[in-house]
Amino acid sequence: MPTSDVLILCAAGMLVSAYLMVGQKALFTTIRLFGVQSALLGILAATIAVSESRPELFVTAAVTIALKGILIPWFLMRVIDRIGIHREIEPFLNVPASLLVCLGLTVVGYRVSTGFPEGSRGVSHHLIGVALSMLLIGLFLMVTRKKAITQILALLTVENAVFLVAVGVTSGMPLVVELGISFDVILAVLILGVLVHRIVERFESMDVSRLSKLKG
Amino acid sequence: MDLALPVIGAVLQSAAMLAIAPLLKVTIKKMKARLQNRQGPPWRQGYSDLAKLLGKEPVRSETASWIYVAGPRVYFAAALAATTLVPVVFAAAPLEAAGGILLLVGTLALGRFALATAALDTGSPFGGMGASRDMTIAALAEPALMLGLFTSALAAGSLNLGVLVRGVVQHGPSFHPSDLLAFAGLFIIVIAETGRIPVDNPATHLELTMIHEAMVLEYAGPDLALVEWASAVKELLYLTLLVDLFMPAGIARSAAPAAVLVGIAAWIGKVFVLAVAVTLTETTNAKLRLFRVPELVSISLGLAFLALAIRFL
Repeated sequence: MPTSDVLILCAAGMLVSAYLMVGQKALFTTIRLFGVQSALLGILAATIAVSESRPELFVTAAVTIALKGILIPWFLMRVIDRIGIHREIEPFLNVPASLLVCLGLTVVGYRVSTGFPEGSRGVSHHLIGVALSMLLIGLFLMVTRKKAITQILALLTVENAVFLVAVGVTSGMPLVVELGISFDVILAVLILGVLVHRIVERFESMDVSRLSKLKG
Repeated sequence: MDLALPVIGAVLQSAAMLAIAPLLKVTIKKMKARLQNRQGPPWRQGYSDLAKLLGKEPVRSETASWIYVAGPRVYFAAALAATTLVPVVFAAAPLEAAGGILLLVGTLALGRFALATAALDTGSPFGGMGASRDMTIAALAEPALMLGLFTSALAAGSLNLGVLVRGVVQHGPSFHPSDLLAFAGLFIIVIAETGRIPVDNPATHLELTMIHEAMVLEYAGPDLALVEWASAVKELLYLTLLVDLFMPAGIARSAAPAAVLVGIAAWIGKVFVLAVAVTLTETTNAKLRLFRVPELVSISLGLAFLALAIRFL
């Protein structure tokens, strides 16, 4: 199978997983889907590392799979287990409506990607298109989900999208920067995990819309 | 001669599909049982069940009209007719001159309509409930199925399944992102249409949430055998359709014995892989609440629509 096919398959798989995340209501499945999405990103990075002989991308791939594919999903599931919350996502917008919005966002993302000089055709068109769509879907998820955990997942989806462009289309970031981003992500998740604990302790719920009651 | 070859091919292919379909059902049952640390039914169970049902005398309600009798027969005939429109071992469907995707979807819809009408005929609450539920899901699943099929048709430039598959074999898979989106969408449709677990539970007659089983609850004996057999054929047909559209590698392009053998082996192998995927989905998911099912099907509708939209971008 040519490299470009693997890249497109992985990118399309990421888009499908993002889409399923929008349609899912079970919290655990959403987390697993995010894990799959990150694993696909790792495979994509590894494929580029092989085809363009950029060995430093192997580190990126390994870090992505280990950190975002396994560690963060495990950590999030543990947090949910510990605080014992209701395991369903309660979005502000119902599922069919969210799906419709995301459909529009994907079309917009794909359309915009043709405006980039690299994005007019070929593999990079699809990579940029998928990344932009995922970015928009991530932002949409962040706005419409009530639970703090799902907002973390949305943030991580956005992060994956940015990473997809960085790895797939540009000639790559220095390794130091990539490692720095990875540690940023893990720190962000840890801090948000603690934050979720605090929110649940105070309000006995993860619903962030209740934070507005804190106003004096 | 010109007409004889397709007809012979159609008869052979539909007979083969009829013969293999119960085996597929048992295979999935057996794999599911294995995953739950059970033994599962013996391999011949599918055939034994059909033989048992066919040997019984038909029991029909006194209030039933001819619609009730015709339902299973039309359903069975529609499933059988649909098998002649799909390429299985060869990169050509026996009766592909008759029509393509639209005829296939239409034929399957005709079967569903006949069964739903027949379920309403006796006036039993279960039949009516099952029929209304089946139609609710079908109303969403059918457009998704059409959109998913159109995505592949758009790439090949033809609505005819034979031409479509030959195009994919010739140019190789396109590896456009829309393929994966359409596949994901169609896989959900296959789960929904064949009454597998997140949508319907094929293993029970007791739940109030059942769909297909509620619809055919009134049937017994040979009538029930026809319905069950046709459902099995439909399941095999859907899996074959997925195989044709998205992984046509190995399909026979000539009647040479070697090519045919490879074609048969490839088809069995690929359908088995999909059966494993269906089994895993059934085992790892819980049955959805009925009101959630339209949400699941609308996901597949969205995916299929997206696949089609991305083709143009």
